[in-house]
Amino acid sequence: MNVLRRFARLILATLREISDENAYQRHLAAHGRQHSGPEWRRFSEERLRAKYARAKCC
Amino acid sequence: MKLLTHLLWGAIAAAAAFCLGGVALIRGEHINSIWLVLAAACTYVTAYRFYGRFIAVRVMALDDRRATPGERLRNGHDFEPTNKWILLGHHFAAIAGPGPLVGPVLAAQFGYLPGTLWIVIGAVLGGAVQDFVILFASMRRDGKSLGKMAREEIGKVGGFIALVTVLIIMVILLAVVGLVVVNALKGSAWGTFTIAATMPIAIFMGLYLRYWRPGKVLECSAIGFILVLASIFGGRSVAASASLAPVFTLSAMALAIGIIVYGFLASALPVWLLLAPRDYLSTFVKLGVVLMLAIGILIVRPELQLPAFTRFVDGTGPIFAGKIFPFCFITIACGAVSGFHSLISSGTTPKMIAKEWHAVPVGYGSMLMESFVAIMAMIAACVLQPGVYFAVNSPAGIVGATPAAAVATISNWGFPVTTATMAQLASDVGEKTLFFRTGGAPSLALGMAHIFARTGGGAVIGFWYHFAIMFEALFILTIIDAGTRVGRFMLQDLLSQVAPPLGRMMWMPGVILTSAMVVAAWGYFLIQGVRDPLGGINSLWPLFGISNQLLATIALCVATTILLKMHSAKYAWITFAPLVWLVTVTFTAGWQKILSPIPAIGFLAQADKLAAAGAATAATETLIFNARLDAALCGLLMVLVAVILADSARVWVGILRGTADAHVREAPFVPSRLQTEEL
Repeated sequence: MNVLRRFARLILATLREISDENAYQRHLAAHGRQHSGPEWRRFSEERLRAKYARAKCC
Repeated sequence: MKLLTHLLWGAIAAAAAFCLGGVALIRGEHINSIWLVLAAACTYVTAYRFYGRFIAVRVMALDDRRATPGERLRNGHDFEPTNKWILLGHHFAAIAGPGPLVGPVLAAQFGYLPGTLWIVIGAVLGGAVQDFVILFASMRRDGKSLGKMAREEIGKVGGFIALVTVLIIMVILLAVVGLVVVNALKGSAWGTFTIAATMPIAIFMGLYLRYWRPGKVLECSAIGFILVLASIFGGRSVAASASLAPVFTLSAMALAIGIIVYGFLASALPVWLLLAPRDYLSTFVKLGVVLMLAIGILIVRPELQLPAFTRFVDGTGPIFAGKIFPFCFITIACGAVSGFHSLISSGTTPKMIAKEWHAVPVGYGSMLMESFVAIMAMIAACVLQPGVYFAVNSPAGIVGATPAAAVATISNWGFPVTTATMAQLASDVGEKTLFFRTGGAPSLALGMAHIFARTGGGAVIGFWYHFAIMFEALFILTIIDAGTRVGRFMLQDLLSQVAPPLGRMMWMPGVILTSAMVVAAWGYFLIQGVRDPLGGINSLWPLFGISNQLLATIALCVATTILLKMHSAKYAWITFAPLVWLVTVTFTAGWQKILSPIPAIGFLAQADKLAAAGAATAATETLIFNARLDAALCGLLMVLVAVILADSARVWVGILRGTADAHVREAPFVPSRLQTEEL
């Protein structure tokens, strides 16, 4: 059961990484800020600008 | 215990050899797909344990005591040490695109054996090695990009050529994947409605994420997925509606124009509105479908209907012309060796590695996983009846313009199929016809639907077919809009050297002009593919394969240079051997695509044949020009890579003779203080 729970946690963490949710939490922690709409938009704009300046794989 | 471990690895290696032998030697009967699955899986596990470890220990001397860029330069953004399994998932999601799905389906025209062997062996000895060494090199150089490493390790010429090659590959890639979508959706009201619906869904998701529930990407993607599923069901009703069906039943040309307009808008619109939400959604759908396909194959264990070899090994294939060597090896690039991966391995991933040894599963292991995706695509294509496979994938210009002519031609090849079979199949999946659907996506969707439906949902094969089409088109369109954007940035960067305002990312006239230029470039090749009487894939997919493998050649040149600097000639064969193979394959293919006297293969022969036909209409003139343009583009790519090869060879000879700078440009050793338990 514990193994399954750990596996589910790992999958969820991977999905959060892919969805940038983890990166957002790191951003809040690094800058000592609280979550808010403007804060998400600020983070998201910077993140997406860097993300879509790189080629996507075929 | 040690003896048990040896016995276990001996058994796995023996199973790999036995299954590969079985796959290679069984003739005259249908083999079960599990043979391919076991052959691939056991080979990957053995290679990962022994070859991957050998490279990690002997060649790279990976050292977990050394701080990675993620730890040393940690900034909470790009540089962030990440749990290795999370990073593995992230890296795999970044490298796995439509290539490993479409390439094997097209290469199945030779039979299942050539493509399967190339996918397994190419990945183990070439693709995974390239990804791993480039990831290692970038990780030891503060996460530098391939272009920067090429400039530093080989010279300025290498860096510039890498940039230009990537831009050309982007143009061809976007055109060819656009053509795959066009061919999948032409004349299909159901498919077109489903894909059209993903655009308002993505915009809804963008607004949801930005204003209503900021930061809730997973929640938003789950809602988006439910809406996309609803649109698949809605598509069936649209296709059945007398008033709506004609609106969504579009010709190939209309779809191509639609995709071009879409690409332009997506490149110029704010990224949060359309591109980003759709990218999140398509990544999750992609991972989910790959997992479903793996489970489906294991449950159903379908038999392969295509033979090990078909008669088309002689180079007369209807899907693309050319013999196994070299065309099988450029048709399957992603899944075996893909140059594009080197951009990912020197992009985000090296900045997120927490410990050096994590590069083994992330760099080497991820490529093996992608290779396995390619094996699954091969299985999905080969479970179709050969006659059906060729009827779906062959262009009208080869097999005849009517269904009756097509089935007669294909049956004469020894792959019996009837118009009744094709009509029934089309009716089952809710389509008017499945003839002449070149590009690989529809036959892959048919194979996947066949597998999914047999896992328990046989009555809804139409749903599964359109689910698979939606899955393919969704992430191909994401590649088109993201690729157009990246191409625009690269072009702005280049043009800013002559007109500085064009380099400003927020200056709208510059944004619009450069977006239009990039869209016009790939749009031209897309339209060319649509007009091509041989279906477009015959000329565009080999061009894409050649360019992708030429990028791999550049990456392997950089990798070989670094290994030579580290160990002199001792371990350079690890990257030099795949490099020699790729140079042989790509230059042979490029040479044949330009100069072969067979019109179906050689661009110039094709142009000469059209010119000799005498009918100098505007359409014929365009076809002639296109064939010559393709030849010129292919030639340009070969010259660019020949220059970088010559430049690399100059550096290698210098290193071996001791006359060139053999200084390894790694970041200095800093002891790691990171505890992986905290990740």
